[in-house]
Amino acid sequence: MADARRIEPEVEALLVDRYLESILVARERGTTVAVHDASLDSALRGASDWLTAGLIRVHPSFRFEERLARRLADVAAAMRLPAAAGGASTSPATIPFEPDDLIDPARDVDDEGDPFARRARPLLIGGALTSAAVSLAGAAIVAWRLSRPAHPMVRAIRAIHGRAGHESGLA
Amino acid sequence: MARPVFRRMKAEEDRREERRLVHLDRDRALVEAALRDPAAFDALYRKYLAQVYSYAYYELGNHHDAEDAAERTFLLALGALDRFEERARPVDGAGASTFRVWLFRIARNVVANIRRGRRRHPVAPIEAAATLADRTDIEGQVSERQEAGAAWAAVARLPAERRRALVLRFVEEMSTAEIAGILGRSEGAVRVLIHRGLRAVARDLGGRRW
Repeated sequence: MADARRIEPEVEALLVDRYLESILVARERGTTVAVHDASLDSALRGASDWLTAGLIRVHPSFRFEERLARRLADVAAAMRLPAAAGGASTSPATIPFEPDDLIDPARDVDDEGDPFARRARPLLIGGALTSAAVSLAGAAIVAWRLSRPAHPMVRAIRAIHGRAGHESGLA
Repeated sequence: MARPVFRRMKAEEDRREERRLVHLDRDRALVEAALRDPAAFDALYRKYLAQVYSYAYYELGNHHDAEDAAERTFLLALGALDRFEERARPVDGAGASTFRVWLFRIARNVVANIRRGRRRHPVAPIEAAATLADRTDIEGQVSERQEAGAAWAAVARLPAERRRALVLRFVEEMSTAEIAGILGRSEGAVRVLIHRGLRAVARDLGGRRW
């Protein structure tokens, strides 16, 4: 026979949620006293308190923080470079090709997917798709060049190459 | 013709929706500054580095991968910042940051990609727990180190989504709404994930204190 005092899991989940909220509020106020509903299972409360104390935030090393800060500053400078060189905008999206799983944060990733998928690790730097071996300055120059209309002679050469490739079945 | 009428109605609906959207994101000023000048992204980076790094560390279990994940997350965020849309609602409260949710969604995707690429060399939870315990040496308390290692190990045994929800809740101190935004689930589903995760941890501990 079911226990009459047994709380539905959904209700208990709400009680836990309220308790965890109260822990956060208490911490913001500089106290450790969190309010809880008397009907909240003491084992759940105990586990919450234990995890609150035990799951600490891990900080990266100062050296890593500064190295990444410098790298981001370089990228930020490269993002401004195309505009300064006559580009239409400071938007990094100057190349139409987009690795959407990396750019679109709203897209869910199934981490149980194909383990062999996406072995290559493309990196978006200032809108230019590049490997880690390509310099930031190179990425900026590529972005700037692609944002400019090609010279008529260059277009003619590309057209000839395209036709030749198509005819040989490589296009 | 009916079509223009529908279009007008849709436009009116969109305008009403826009009026309902109140800009409350606590990071709004920093995001706007970074949009004007990408160099100003540094402030957002400094503010959230430890959180993103910590999340990646709990997910991946070693410092090398966590650094890789943090680096890729912030580079991607900087590159895609002009696509960020502030979506804080009045109900989210004054402390809401949709930027943080957006950033963590990127981090989650990056972590998933790293895990895919390195699945052949998984890190044993016990090894990661020991490393984590060492990181808490700041306090110099052996028992605290052991507690931190034990807490990590208990959480590491959970299924991925429950572990993720608990880490976001306890380590990153996020609200249910924020976690729901990051995991792409409803708030109710997140509450259930956390509840089940806690239940499993409580069972693991076997009522040793309570």
